[in-house]
Amino acid sequence: MNSLRKYIDKNKPLFQKGGKFEKLGSTFGAFETFLFTPNHTAKSGSHIHDVIDLKRTMIVVVLALLPALLFGCWNVGYQNGLAFGIERSLLGHFFFGFWKFLPLFIVSYVVGLGIEFASAQIRGHEVNEGYLVTGILIPLIIPINTPLWMLALAVAFAVIFGKEIFGGTGYNIMNVALIARAFLFFAYPSEMSGDKVWIYGLPDQAAIDGFSGATPLAQLAQGATQNMASMSDLFMGFIPGSIGETSKLAILIGAAILLFTGIASWKIMLSTVIGVLSIGLLCNAFALNEYMAVPAYYHLLIGGFAFGAVFMATDPVTAPHTERGKWIYGFMIGAFVVLIRVFNPAYPEGMMLAILLMNVWSPLIDYFVVQSHIKHRQKRFLVKKNA
Amino acid sequence: MQEMINIFVKSVFIDNMIFAFFLGMCSFLAVSKTVKTSIGLGAAVIFVQIITVPVNYLLLEYVMKPGALSWLGESFKDVDLSFLSFMIYIATIAAMTQLVEMVIEKFSPSLYNSLGIFLPLIAVNCAILGGSLFMEQREYENIGQVLSWGLGSGFGWALAIVSLAAVREKMKYNHIPAPLKGIGITFIVTGLMSLAFMSFMGITL
Repeated sequence: MNSLRKYIDKNKPLFQKGGKFEKLGSTFGAFETFLFTPNHTAKSGSHIHDVIDLKRTMIVVVLALLPALLFGCWNVGYQNGLAFGIERSLLGHFFFGFWKFLPLFIVSYVVGLGIEFASAQIRGHEVNEGYLVTGILIPLIIPINTPLWMLALAVAFAVIFGKEIFGGTGYNIMNVALIARAFLFFAYPSEMSGDKVWIYGLPDQAAIDGFSGATPLAQLAQGATQNMASMSDLFMGFIPGSIGETSKLAILIGAAILLFTGIASWKIMLSTVIGVLSIGLLCNAFALNEYMAVPAYYHLLIGGFAFGAVFMATDPVTAPHTERGKWIYGFMIGAFVVLIRVFNPAYPEGMMLAILLMNVWSPLIDYFVVQSHIKHRQKRFLVKKNA
Repeated sequence: MQEMINIFVKSVFIDNMIFAFFLGMCSFLAVSKTVKTSIGLGAAVIFVQIITVPVNYLLLEYVMKPGALSWLGESFKDVDLSFLSFMIYIATIAAMTQLVEMVIEKFSPSLYNSLGIFLPLIAVNCAILGGSLFMEQREYENIGQVLSWGLGSGFGWALAIVSLAAVREKMKYNHIPAPLKGIGITFIVTGLMSLAFMSFMGITL
């Protein structure tokens, strides 16, 4: 460790102003802060010293994603085994899935971080850690069969047009990972939906008899309310789906980590659940067709709802910053998810679009909450003055 | 009644003037700097829309359509004035805009000043003329449906401009690359917003 520190200190002048590699200064800075805790402090303005900096926040989110990621890898192997009748051990399933997942992960990181580093050099600011989380989220919310070049294209689009041109981490108006997914969804719909994309190897090879690769959402959208996966399968995640979204148990572990460390807002998570349940119950009350009669709690377990509610709706950058705004935002996400799922035949899943839509409106929610605070206080002030 | 609600929801979310048809972009991009002024312009557009669309509908039904003038007498049965529709629509819209301008100038001079040239320019706002032309093209059956289309399309436009204004207020301190500052980034934001509005595409009411 000591020799590494010495090596960095020795080479530091090369990257500073006037040095030989001056242009690569922010790349050097990124690696230095990755290896060691930076010791410089802010010199002007008022600042709160806190151990929880951007890097730690991001690492905690990555840790919270790990259970979903590990289970997702295992489920890729398990579903592949089911489809083709292959028996493997627990670790066999896991490593089968792991080797299929790894290329997606590497492509996402290399392309995204490449753009991040390049733009930091060009614009002369520090490399931010924001992409560490986005880079894991993106491969977790796409089907395992996504071609790598499509993934690379989507990541490039999302990072450049979703984040960098707005000024980098912390300035984006919409969730970057979801922009990547929406880009794939609208540009290559055949690779992103259907019955075949969710299980590795299914598009090229015929599955054994009686196996359908349809996700519970797709079954519901086609009107099949019988033969649904059991509650425990849905909860544990033994169903086809995007890599990270299937296991609600793994996601709940992640949610516990995020809530315990206080990184994600419990208000948003709770209000999304309330939103889904209340609109779901409203649908049940009318129950004009079979999909409307699906129990409200079922909506919590199918599709990407849980994953989105825990890891994406709570994104502190794109969610509202006011506390009351968070309640409204979460509730409306939950409401839109059910509405899109039930009433829009074009899309089986609504979580991605519901979050993107509310990202658009979250500044507006903030604006009106702040205005109402101002009005409220003015009124109180006037009452006091008159009294 | 149900039909009216369907038309309203459809015109606000699914056939949104901005995010589905990209109509009325000029004032959408230019006046969306602050939420307050954009609420003012949005309200003005809603007002103009709910008056001009039904008035144009009545003019179309009773004056311009082939055979619409038959209430004047037998000899007018074959008269077809529909070639006049563009001119008549624009005339109605210009008259209404003038009225709105006078009302706003009288009651809210600050809004009048902040809207500036864009208030009289409502007369040539594509969304307003588009509202009347869609009304003709879609062949709404009665005045109630037309009213709800006018209200919905105006409301959808107002919603779009107000949400863009809130986003732009939030982006005030962003470190945006110099070539994209101002209109450039606004176009990109509009694109991303219509991506989010794709969530309503495909809903059939």
